[in-house]
Amino acid sequence: MSLFQREREIIVDNEFTDSFDFEEIEEFVSGASKNLFISHRFATSDKMQVQPRGGFPTYEKVFRLYEEFKSAGVDILPLTIDSNTRLNDYATARKMLELSEENDTDMLNGYPLINHGYRTTRKMMVHFDTPVSLRHGTPDARLLVETAIASGIFEIEGGPITYLLPYSKNFPLDKAFLYWKYVEKVCAHYSQFNEAINRESFGPLSATMQPPAIVLAIQIIEMLLSLEEGVRSFSVSFSQSGSVVQDVVSANVLKRLARKYADTFGFTDAAIHLVYHQWMGAFPRDKFFSDSLITTGTVIAAMVGADKIITKTRNEAYGIPTKEANALAVANVQYTLGILRGLPAISDEREEEHLERMVDAIMQAVLNDDADTLWRKVYNSIKKGYIEIPFSPHIINANEVITVRDPDGNIRIYDRGRLPIPDDCFEYERSKIELPEGKRVVEKIIEDIGIMQ
Amino acid sequence: MSEKLLIDIGSTYFKVYENGSIRHYFRDFSQNIYDDLMLKCADTLKRYSPSQIYICSSANGGLSTLIIGLTRSFSIRYAVNIAFNSGINIIDTLLYRELGDDPAPRERVDVVILAGGYDGRDGVFDDRLTEYLSHLEYSNIVYAGNREDGERMARSIDNLVVVENIMDEKLQMRENELKNYLTDLYQADIMGKEEIKRFYEITTNQIYSTPYIVNRAMPQLRKKMDVADPFIAIDIGGATTDIHYSRDLVRDNIVTESSYDRMVFKKLGVYKSRESLVFSARNNEYVFELLNTLNVTENILEEYSDKAVRVLMQLAIFLVLFKMSKYHADYIELELERLNSIVFTGGITKVLENAEIEGIVSFFYRKILKFHRSPSVVIDRDYRIWTYGMDDSAGERG
Repeated sequence: MSLFQREREIIVDNEFTDSFDFEEIEEFVSGASKNLFISHRFATSDKMQVQPRGGFPTYEKVFRLYEEFKSAGVDILPLTIDSNTRLNDYATARKMLELSEENDTDMLNGYPLINHGYRTTRKMMVHFDTPVSLRHGTPDARLLVETAIASGIFEIEGGPITYLLPYSKNFPLDKAFLYWKYVEKVCAHYSQFNEAINRESFGPLSATMQPPAIVLAIQIIEMLLSLEEGVRSFSVSFSQSGSVVQDVVSANVLKRLARKYADTFGFTDAAIHLVYHQWMGAFPRDKFFSDSLITTGTVIAAMVGADKIITKTRNEAYGIPTKEANALAVANVQYTLGILRGLPAISDEREEEHLERMVDAIMQAVLNDDADTLWRKVYNSIKKGYIEIPFSPHIINANEVITVRDPDGNIRIYDRGRLPIPDDCFEYERSKIELPEGKRVVEKIIEDIGIMQ
Repeated sequence: MSEKLLIDIGSTYFKVYENGSIRHYFRDFSQNIYDDLMLKCADTLKRYSPSQIYICSSANGGLSTLIIGLTRSFSIRYAVNIAFNSGINIIDTLLYRELGDDPAPRERVDVVILAGGYDGRDGVFDDRLTEYLSHLEYSNIVYAGNREDGERMARSIDNLVVVENIMDEKLQMRENELKNYLTDLYQADIMGKEEIKRFYEITTNQIYSTPYIVNRAMPQLRKKMDVADPFIAIDIGGATTDIHYSRDLVRDNIVTESSYDRMVFKKLGVYKSRESLVFSARNNEYVFELLNTLNVTENILEEYSDKAVRVLMQLAIFLVLFKMSKYHADYIELELERLNSIVFTGGITKVLENAEIEGIVSFFYRKILKFHRSPSVVIDRDYRIWTYGMDDSAGERG
């Protein structure tokens, strides 16, 4: 037995989960409906796929949520995992699930997949016969992903950087890389039996004033880390920044550079998709303003030619949305997309060249690290501060880069920290910033974070 | 040599050397050390008189030491160096100017070493020291600082032993007197420990600490083993790991007569210090790649099996090299890039094959130092190094 298979046996040998039958799972994946694979949907549909977020503790509630989504015309179903499972605390998740079931109250903020087990969850996935995307935020997602794929969930979100630095304070980064390597291998393994398992990176990062250069570099890196383990369907993503132009520029450059780096590394056969997240920052409390913000996000997604859009709801400022509000958001996005057909391609050559140079410079710094593996080059680069995610809690994150908005709402780099971007690019960024006299940078940052409120 | 019997009492093994051959006995932890030895080696012991038997031991836990010095660059650094080379494992240090900032340790300290100042200068230490010592529980106290204050303090501190200043007029290290004091103290400590002191029933010679004996053997290794300078010796045992290294490998050079220093990792052992070894392993960013290279999963760290012991021993080798490298600032940094040989001795040589040890060294040099070549590995399976040191010691005193 290979080391990888031995490791899998150990990972799934867990008191909180089903006994795993790998042979049966491979048979299930081999014979699974093509409709369960988002990679198949991407390959066969020109339409932008609409996916909400959502997850409840009990099986019944998720089932009803999916029914609501289906009636609203959803393309991709979500399965959001609860926080205890994300932290591998399956004992607490089980206890809270029991309380949720007994009292019909949500004691978890998502679906405890490990405790439900793959045999139960699979019934629901097969019933809806629709691609499901796993949304979790877990640094060690090995058991979770084994369980998800065994359940019929064939899109896995996350990555060692995007699901660690913004989510965790002190989970060891090196382990996150190795645990995600395992996840990539599992996805690549099952991809050989049917359509490809799709991996998706989490581009919003900390969802707070993220400079596109950092977002794009991290997207490309997580894509390469995934492709090098054999994954052949990957989605890069980013979220609505608050500037229409900047989103267009980011999308154009991201599509171009993701393809370029994948090809450079010899992954010419990899399918790369673009995912756009509607506004991930603080939402307005006025629900009509929220509607406007969401609709603007849908328009931008159409302008940039996203393959998938991930929706928000008008209840965002008030907490976890009801299934009705969530379904309404899906219906509205579908309606708006129906109007936005045949938009011309737009671009801003100067901004795109500027962004492309910054991303390339970061990538060169990472790839020139003298470590012998890609993940360690990235790991070293994070330790050196060549890559960081502003406003992230992780202790290893440099937290030196400062961003503010220019008068057009574009996110600009005010302090580059140790980002290895060219001097003239940094000067260009600074030249765009106008800090009103007497206003401190911190005041400007706070104002910019709350720009949509 | 044929008329001598050499015995090393380790935390996991006894080693007995006579007539050019070594026998190893795994300790029976259900018995006290003395009874265990008598049971296993009674016939051998009968053939030798007490004056022919030489014993060293690393099984008595060693002395706990508090060093109070004036500066970390000189007095404390020198005193730590001498203490390690004398076989002491547990060392705390305190800067004189920070005296009283924190409360004195509650546990009884076996020996307090006072050091600092150069001869000819008076008044370096004042009443703050005696005040601090009045709150400290200790068994022995030695002064190795400037001569003038030593004379004065000997009058105010009970039982203070004064040895020559460990720093000479050129600010270089003088180690002999303090070293002799500490090795003698080791013997006195053994006398105070019920289990070990009984060994004096079978020998009339001084019992030394094993690390001290190994350190003594270092200058002989070039002649007696197939090693090339510069080299280090790594002794990984059940409770601690010792490194004996040439001072040439340290940029931060201490000028002294002795050419070899000792460094000890008191929590890197595969039996008694297993938990801390596993903790260190889990927190090392390279260990998971190493486990992958060894074709095992991280789960092995939780297992109790022969295979797990082998892996832990391999991890211990890696961690020791890592902790001594430039990537780890907390310990002495050795110029490992310059090494030509590494000698392995101690408990690991009873378990690991040559290829298993060489594989780890090669991984370290390739992965951490990014070298394509690694030093030659010499494995002292019979623990000959110890006999070289013992023989030297036996000759000197016997």
